[in-house]
Amino acid sequence: MLCPVRLVAIFLVASAGTALAADPPPLTPEQMASAVTTDTISIPTPGELFAALSKPGKPNWAAQYRGPIPVTYRNRAQIALNLGGLIADGFIAVEAQDSQQVKNIGTDIIKLAKALGVSENVLSRGKSINEFAENSEWSALQEELEATQNEVKTSMQSNRDQDLVILVSLGGWIRGTQVVSGSVLKDYNESSAKVLRQPALVTFIQKKVNDVSPELQNEPLIRSVREQLSEIQKLVTFPGGGTPTAEEVRKLNEAVTNLMQEIESKPDAR
Amino acid sequence: MTRLLTIICSVAAMSAITSAALADTDNEVEARKVALGLAGAFSNDGFKIRDGYWTGSVKAGERAVVAVNLYAGNQYWFSVGSSDEASKLAVRLHDEAGRPLPTDNYEEEEKAAAGFSPDVSGQYFVSVAPTSGDASTYCLVYSYK
Repeated sequence: MLCPVRLVAIFLVASAGTALAADPPPLTPEQMASAVTTDTISIPTPGELFAALSKPGKPNWAAQYRGPIPVTYRNRAQIALNLGGLIADGFIAVEAQDSQQVKNIGTDIIKLAKALGVSENVLSRGKSINEFAENSEWSALQEELEATQNEVKTSMQSNRDQDLVILVSLGGWIRGTQVVSGSVLKDYNESSAKVLRQPALVTFIQKKVNDVSPELQNEPLIRSVREQLSEIQKLVTFPGGGTPTAEEVRKLNEAVTNLMQEIESKPDAR
Repeated sequence: MTRLLTIICSVAAMSAITSAALADTDNEVEARKVALGLAGAFSNDGFKIRDGYWTGSVKAGERAVVAVNLYAGNQYWFSVGSSDEASKLAVRLHDEAGRPLPTDNYEEEEKAAAGFSPDVSGQYFVSVAPTSGDASTYCLVYSYK
């Protein structure tokens, strides 16, 4: 007997693409201003960004690896930022279909997550990541990495670490943008370059970072991140068609690389 | 597919556990189960389902609007489920100026989906509107490849 999901699939194959939507009325400025924006649905995963980059041609993902980062930070904001960056590294290793690299990164993700005192649920994700990596289940690994990230965020919210949630997303976005802009620079073409346009996304992240507690905002690393985000927001706008030139990609890559280096290596503020 | 069924079963189990205590949450869980069931059909075609989702209540004659950030080159399906079997709904995409965009559409009873492939990366808006029935709880999930 066919399962209901499969039946729906068959029906969709037959019907999807044949029905074009009737034009609904445009959204009003008020509707757009009050649109729901949430961390889990309005911020794309690094996996989505990497999927788009792979369309014009498969990049050399292994060339985008970076050396191991410290996993002994004491500053919680710095841990959160680096945790997001590591999750992006996990997506890179999945794209490269490199089991050992996925397992190494998975281990580091769990170490940083433990340092933040997240729940046991997150720690069990580490085992799943290892199992999927050993069995080369790449699609499942992508879902597991996103689920791990969301589990970390949920645990942070339960622990009254709400302010750190956006930093995990931000770390992932910066690392993802660093990798993609670096890859585009190596072999520039317009199709690949246009994935880098995301002004509203950076504005959303900026707004969330500006809303964190005054105590967190006063930390030197967060102050620096806020300042640099303002500059990066301008660098991802690309007016006039949304496709950056090679020079614009270079400037963006330089900016996010500088910020990533600071996130990785800045001395603890506390 | 196994993972999707696991998610759906978890959602159903959560529903059973919480039904007595949290009526609103119960509706959200039911709507999510319907949305995930629909999104699962697209995963057969290589679409990956995002773990994140939105749930909320929409009254007849109103629209819920959710902001998403999409990448040129990717294909997307936005799947919405309702907790009310009698409810019919429409899902539409709008560009960053709010203009409606042409989409592939699937609508059947308490679920609907819109398919879209952006040429320009950036912000888009997903609107969810009941086309019949009273106020209901909806859940939006999206898939990409």
